[in-house]
Amino acid sequence: MDMSQISPADQAKVQLMQEMEIEMMSDLYNRMTNVCHKKCIPPRYSESELGKGEMVCIDRCVAKYLDIHEKIGKKLTAMSMQDEELMKKMSS
Amino acid sequence: MAKSPENIAIDQLDKDQMKTFSDFLMSYNRLSEMCFTDCVRDFTSRDVKENEEKCSLNCMEKYLKMNQRVSQRFQEFQMIANENALAMVKKTGN
Repeated sequence: MDMSQISPADQAKVQLMQEMEIEMMSDLYNRMTNVCHKKCIPPRYSESELGKGEMVCIDRCVAKYLDIHEKIGKKLTAMSMQDEELMKKMSS
Repeated sequence: MAKSPENIAIDQLDKDQMKTFSDFLMSYNRLSEMCFTDCVRDFTSRDVKENEEKCSLNCMEKYLKMNQRVSQRFQEFQMIANENALAMVKKTGN
């Protein structure tokens, strides 16, 4: 993107949006780690190595979590777009 | 006084470092809480028992290993998502 054509105010906006996105991603990551830990690692710590079953569970948990995250995101955008259209129709 | 670009860069670096440090402290506290909850349930004596200590240390090590694995998988997913997005842009661009 060519930044020279964008006004400083818009540049600041873009930067803020990027920061928000990074924050959101790290929040997603932390939540996912906690959930998958809760679901995959039983609270008995007789050894420090991850078991084979635990590893498989973690891989699947991460994959599934991100899938669900994407699906919910899609549905959420679809719903909010529908809402907006409805509002436009109501006001016109 | 207006800030020079160098100063702004230093501010940014400081901000990133502070963020990393505060993230570290947060995960330290969370780890302590979690491993304490899972490993220490006997309060008939004041001393930390040998098995309680072992359990807590294992708990920490295991959590870090799990975190490593989650981070690897997460990066893989992000790479695939980026590639897909790039492919979409190329497709619609042509």
